Amino acid sequence: MKRRGRGIACMWYPIGFTVSANPSAATVMVNEDGTATVLTGTVETGQGSLTVLAQIAAEALGTSTEDIHVVSADTDATPMDTGAIASRTTYVTGNAIRMAADNAKAILFEAAAQVLGVEPGQLEARDRNIQVKGFPHRKIAIGEAAKRCQLVLGRPPIGTASWNPPTVAMDPDTGQGKPFSTYVYATQIAEVDVDDETGEVEVIRVVAAHDCGTPVNPMLVEGQIEGGIAMGVGFALQEEILFDAAGTQVNPNLANYILPTTLDMPKIEVHIVESYDPTGPFGAKGVGRADLGADGSGHPQRDL
Amino acid sequence: MDRKPEVIELERRETPGKLQGLEDNLRLPAVAPGGDFPIEKLVSEARQQTHAVGQRATRSDCRTHGLGQTKYIADLALPGMLHAKIKRAGIASAHITRIDTAAAEAMPGVMAVLIGRDIPVNSFGPSIQDQPLLAHERVFHAGDGVAAVAAVTEQLAADAIEKIAVTYEPMPAVFDPMAAMRDDAPKVHPPNSNIYTTKRIAKGDVAKAFKESYLTLEGRFCTQMVEHASMEPHAAIADWDANGRLTIWSTLGRINLGRADIARTLKLPLNRIRVIGTIVGGNFGGKNEITQEPILALLAKKSGRPVRGIFTRDEEFTATTTRHPFVMEYSTGVSREGHILARTVRLIIDGGAYCSWTETTLGKASILAAGPYRIPNLLIEAFAVYTNKTMTGAMRGFGAPQVCFAYESHMDDIANALGIDPLDIRLRNAFEEGSESPTGQTLHSVVIKDSLLKAAQQFGWREARP
Repeated sequence: MKRRGRGIACMWYPIGFTVSANPSAATVMVNEDGTATVLTGTVETGQGSLTVLAQIAAEALGTSTEDIHVVSADTDATPMDTGAIASRTTYVTGNAIRMAADNAKAILFEAAAQVLGVEPGQLEARDRNIQVKGFPHRKIAIGEAAKRCQLVLGRPPIGTASWNPPTVAMDPDTGQGKPFSTYVYATQIAEVDVDDETGEVEVIRVVAAHDCGTPVNPMLVEGQIEGGIAMGVGFALQEEILFDAAGTQVNPNLANYILPTTLDMPKIEVHIVESYDPTGPFGAKGVGRADLGADGSGHPQRDL
Repeated sequence: MDRKPEVIELERRETPGKLQGLEDNLRLPAVAPGGDFPIEKLVSEARQQTHAVGQRATRSDCRTHGLGQTKYIADLALPGMLHAKIKRAGIASAHITRIDTAAAEAMPGVMAVLIGRDIPVNSFGPSIQDQPLLAHERVFHAGDGVAAVAAVTEQLAADAIEKIAVTYEPMPAVFDPMAAMRDDAPKVHPPNSNIYTTKRIAKGDVAKAFKESYLTLEGRFCTQMVEHASMEPHAAIADWDANGRLTIWSTLGRINLGRADIARTLKLPLNRIRVIGTIVGGNFGGKNEITQEPILALLAKKSGRPVRGIFTRDEEFTATTTRHPFVMEYSTGVSREGHILARTVRLIIDGGAYCSWTETTLGKASILAAGPYRIPNLLIEAFAVYTNKTMTGAMRGFGAPQVCFAYESHMDDIANALGIDPLDIRLRNAFEEGSESPTGQTLHSVVIKDSLLKAAQQFGWREARP
């Protein structure tokens, strides 16, 4: 007989490396028409990080995502980055890009200040313009300012910066210290059907409520969480590498190692918990690895 | 290449001489047709908004993915490129007494053969450099590579590794991490102990708090080994130019560390190596260190040709990192109201044959093992153990999913024993803004209770039980 059950699980997960430095450097180059190119050493591994990083650069420059082109992952051309690991890209690389964009913007402000007859500190970048704070009609286009940077100031608007999350080493005996700069939190609740004769478990529905700081791109956050739940379902119910007595794997193929497919997936409802982390780029933390932990089951199992 | 049906039909019927008078517009195009995709594109509104953060912007790479134009390593080819295959040991623990590559080298189309001895520095690893690129003298797990071949086709390279004869002297092996911890267990990397990393987190007075507890609950939890199973396997291309500069296209997720490891193993200065990270078809932690890149570089050097290597699905399972199996023992003392007063956790994690990212995994797992709860008295002890199995390394969460399964299952047991709702016991103990973490860190932007309440409300937890 099928029995309906439910389970709740919550979790926490840190962003970045444990204590050790994991810096990112980045360069932002504003073109003469106000579009910009970002150089980053991180790698797009399918999660959409280059889109998120473009959004961060665009926000800092007051332009749109489409105005930003990201060049990534070439040791001959892009600055040092610790890479796509440890849920760090949005938080660490994102901070480096925001700071690099601010440095490029400072040069734009210098050129714009001359035209608008104000101090650079009175300016802000908004809607593809550089405008006087409180007087949005006094403005010049970012492209115009970038042109003047080249042709009048003689300093192209190029900014470079690096960032590393602050940590404090852990005591070797007690583990006391500050191993990470920030953490994210999440809860997932699952509704399952369990066949009490065969033991077959079917996950009917998962409700997920996740914190990622500011969601830079809510659609990509949802994608990460949905993918994490798929991996969680596989980990909890389906997947296992098996060895024979001689230590050789017996199921190293996708015919005998059973991954969940879309047909195994429950109905998923993703909710993003409102949160703002002042240490992240525009309040963002990350979500890459945090989405897998919580997969509750109405009947806790002792051995996965 | 598109061949016009009229031409194919003519070629089939006529002798080559007769084709000479063929009309020009029936001949094959001199240039291969380009990709069949529109250049003009529509840009979604979310990508044009000038408050870019918070927008549901479509991905910058969605068109190239959607139109099938993204170039993964398997889509890249260089003129004269060879194909590499690596021969795997298939035995978990052994001395290599002899490797005979003569028959493989004699095969027409085999351009280079490589064994461990040919590699300038045959070891790597992010914290302990205990992993050989190709096993030499000693095999530590069944997925170890023992020789590599570059040939003009992939099939020929696969045939050639079958012709390589390796003689093994089997050695004692250990596969169970609990057994591997015993003093009399065979040592995986003699003379070193099988316990190669430990972590300890301690605060408060656990013994005293357990005595004062209303109830103490114990639980033992185990998780199994799983694989990342990315759609794209580990892949790379190595190419040398006439200046002796090496370019590597790779699925690596960390190109700077990758370049440093390639430089170290090949004894090359960093500025003679260019690593290009291609768009990767899934990482999940499995592509954070080098695998075959230096092997391909040396095969390319020997043959004077670019060399591409793409792991098979079998190699993805047996010769790259996997998720650590955990054994987790929990003991928790609680008050009658369900407040956690004391907790001890003992973690034993199966590191497989090499350290890889175990150091990081053990550290994160220890820090997170107590759960997102305020616990004044805590003792966490964690051990990473070598076994002669596939190495375990970084995988989405670095030990977090394993300990989450344990601390949350344990939490349900506690709730059940005290007759408290599982949601309430979590709310009662969860971190708050400014709470102190197990390592004594003051936590900021803590929204665990918000997430519990949000999920419960959206699920309808408080409504009648199913």
